[in-house]
Amino acid sequence: MSLRQYILVVDLASGRMRREEIPPELLRAYLGGRGLGVRLLRDRHTFSPFDPAMPVIFAVGPLCGTPAPTSARLSVVSRSPLTGTVYDCSAGGRFAWRLRAAGLFAIRVEGKSTRPVVLAVTSAGEELLPADGLWGKSVGETVRALSDRGSVAAIGPAGENGVLYSNIMMGEGNAVGRGGLGAVLGAKNPKAVTVDGDRPVPVADRERFDRARADVLRLFRASPVIFGELGISEYGTPALVDLMRQRRMAPTENFRRTVFDGSPAYSGPAIRAAYGAKKEGCFGCPIRCKKRASDGRALPEYETVSHFGALNGIADLHAIVRSNDACNDLGMDTISAAATLSAWGEARGRFPSPEEIGPLLHDIALRRGEGELLAEGSRRVAETLGKPELSMSVKSLELPAYDPRGAYGMALAYATSNRGGCHLRAYPISHEILRKPVASDRFSFSGKARMIKIAEDANAAVDSLVACKFAFFGASLEEYAELLSGVTGEPHTPQGLKEIGERIWLTERSYNARNGFTRADDDLPARFFAEAGSGGEGIDVPPIDRARFVEELTKYYRIRGLRDDGSSPDDGFLERQP
Amino acid sequence: MRSLIAKYAEKLHRDRSVVPGRVGIAAQDDVMLCEGAPDLSRLAADVLSRLSCLGIVAASPSLPFASYLLRRANADAKSIVPLDTETRTFLHDIPIVRREELGGDPAYAIAALLSNRKGVIAEGVGIVASGPVTLEQAYIHYSSVYHAAFVKYLLDALRDGFVLPGEEEAFREFRETSLQPLSAEGLSFRAGPLDDPEEVLAEIRAVGRYTVERGLVDSFFGNISWRVGGTIFISQTAASLDGLAGCIDPVPMDNRSTTGITASSELLAHRRIYEATGARAILHGHPKFSVAMSMLCEEKDCPVKDCWKDCPNVRMLGDIPVVAGEIGAGGLAVRVPPVIGGPGKAIVYGHGVFSIGRTGFEEAFRSMVDVENRCREEYFRRLDARARRQSKSE
Repeated sequence: MSLRQYILVVDLASGRMRREEIPPELLRAYLGGRGLGVRLLRDRHTFSPFDPAMPVIFAVGPLCGTPAPTSARLSVVSRSPLTGTVYDCSAGGRFAWRLRAAGLFAIRVEGKSTRPVVLAVTSAGEELLPADGLWGKSVGETVRALSDRGSVAAIGPAGENGVLYSNIMMGEGNAVGRGGLGAVLGAKNPKAVTVDGDRPVPVADRERFDRARADVLRLFRASPVIFGELGISEYGTPALVDLMRQRRMAPTENFRRTVFDGSPAYSGPAIRAAYGAKKEGCFGCPIRCKKRASDGRALPEYETVSHFGALNGIADLHAIVRSNDACNDLGMDTISAAATLSAWGEARGRFPSPEEIGPLLHDIALRRGEGELLAEGSRRVAETLGKPELSMSVKSLELPAYDPRGAYGMALAYATSNRGGCHLRAYPISHEILRKPVASDRFSFSGKARMIKIAEDANAAVDSLVACKFAFFGASLEEYAELLSGVTGEPHTPQGLKEIGERIWLTERSYNARNGFTRADDDLPARFFAEAGSGGEGIDVPPIDRARFVEELTKYYRIRGLRDDGSSPDDGFLERQP
Repeated sequence: MRSLIAKYAEKLHRDRSVVPGRVGIAAQDDVMLCEGAPDLSRLAADVLSRLSCLGIVAASPSLPFASYLLRRANADAKSIVPLDTETRTFLHDIPIVRREELGGDPAYAIAALLSNRKGVIAEGVGIVASGPVTLEQAYIHYSSVYHAAFVKYLLDALRDGFVLPGEEEAFREFRETSLQPLSAEGLSFRAGPLDDPEEVLAEIRAVGRYTVERGLVDSFFGNISWRVGGTIFISQTAASLDGLAGCIDPVPMDNRSTTGITASSELLAHRRIYEATGARAILHGHPKFSVAMSMLCEEKDCPVKDCWKDCPNVRMLGDIPVVAGEIGAGGLAVRVPPVIGGPGKAIVYGHGVFSIGRTGFEEAFRSMVDVENRCREEYFRRLDARARRQSKSE
């Protein structure tokens, strides 16, 4: 890698902006994306998410802008107002590629503008534009208004109004989702960031790079999950709807059950039939898992259809698609929105009807009526209603659509995730359900502590490259290390990448510890240990054995080099890192 | 974890890919566990302690082919490249490390190579393979290296003859005593058509097991299916043919459900074969002589470079058609269905055999046995002819 990479530092309070070289040793130690962003938070990780001095960092990875498959992705890093943890999320689209092409590896936004602004970046420079007229506008309206400025990352009304699970939305329909980074950005008053670069990204060893790229594409073609006729390239992530139904682990009615009879209404084939779903992808991605309707609207992902569907007891595909549209336009996370409505529904004894959901989503984004409470996420809603046990979350982040009673590695991974109840950190669904790269026994904890630790490290590296997790249903770090070696001209190995990932993971854990997180936060909602899922068809879905879960969690800490209480014996860890 | 170590050690012995008693396996949970031959298990544990990885298999291969490949390689060669398409796709290349390069700490040198690849051939040690996610993965990687070395050695020996002291004698020993005779005799097959799903599942499990027990294929190198009306019952991706209980997906042929997203990557090929032939059963595996023979093309001045995927021709090995075609979403699913109907069998370049049963698996199984036996015979005929030519020229 040419290690001369630049970050744009933007102080919204003063309007000052400067491009600074990123110290090369940080790029070697953290790669980019999630890792770099997490490192750059080090001196402010205890600040409140809404403190103007808390940075929001946009960072690409070293493969971005090259033809490396699935690598034109962006990470956004800050501290989550929903969870209180360090928080990162990656998003595809075209923004990351255009940012790199503008001569930048990262943007660090801090301070607070007195008025709404748009940060506009090109290869020639950057400027802050007045945006009073855009404040209050939907994401769609904002993106259309800025369409002549390249790619757009914008917040919607949810981000402006501090909804704790508001997103930053990419103009192509991708989301920086889950943890409420839209609200963190909104608190500083930028409505959007636009980027439009035109510089090529060099590849140091083209032959090595091309060979690795060919290897990756062969592995994609050999993967039924990616390019199989029933895979995500054909049907998008809703291809998982039928599978999760068959495995009896589709969260239903706020995780009271794990099979929803209405799920065929929103399966991959059903969406294709109803909307004429067409393939669309992030820049340069061969998988093209995104699906767009014939009228141009972005169609929902698996977690979205399942949570606006089964989790709320709704089998109306059109209502689900409308909910997805509303969340995208309001700039709000679909998983947390649907899960919060579901917890609220169970608490009041009735899940919201399809007709009620649309108005409720608008109320949430505008923080009016019931929306004022619902904007706080399921944990705060459930606690306020006196039923804290009904929030199906870990560290306040709502669980996505993989019931942990159906996959014990997933159960452990939810608990240990540094950003809370997220499926994408260790992502054991890959081997427990999708059999990639090999199958593991989903109803066993045996060996899972080690598997989760290794996968968390590997995926921290993946998130720092920044590549798409779906690529690893076919390829592995072996091929991506080769791509990186080709781009940089320096040797990289999977083992080396996992060691970088471990540094990133331990850094995040250290930040969380300093913000008060302990072993008590590495836990699942009690329901999963007390109530069975919906067994049948030869599959038993018992409650998780709590003693065995605790035993494996303790093993996990030991493997991580932590004490049995989850704390670190190494107070000087952060200070010793680059 | 100890039960898993025992399971894969036993599997390696059962599939006859290791010298009896010469297996060492290490696995890491919160503590390091290792079992097997003391020197190999200690080596496996030492390697594992240097890697972010769940398990390591270190074993002496039952046949010396990997060792011969290492010793036949140029002195400056750092790896060998598998020739068959399956292992080349997943392994890329296989590092080799010579005795003098292992130094005083073989685990260090081997771990350094495994930090970047799935398996390594180490002189004086054997094959060492890693499993980053599960112990089964280490077993699969060992088996992949073993398979790749076997096929490559067959081809290299045919091309270059025997060049190392004792090599010819060892190969003769392999040919005359180690090579298992292949046969379907004594096996029991259910006569079709079968319509009861439970009976179908039982038959698929049994036939999958036969393929491995009879030495026809290595355990996870292949897939198998049965069609009942509009449903294909097919083995799952990365499933072992001799361990298919709970690993068979019912997949509607009209794609009204995506449950089959975990089915074998060859699902599309199976579906198109059913559509083209009306067969009830399909067996696919990678018998080693069939794989090797499929790559021996005598076309002169052919402009095609990537024969394994781009060759448009149908070659014939006797009455067996051989076609090119990349696995999964590649051209295999296009090129096999048109040629398999008549003979009931076909070989894919560098990949393996597909065979069909019009009413049940017996026909498919006998066809695969027949293909492999005929490829063996043809291989040895060519090898003998080569030896005669060489002896005349001397």
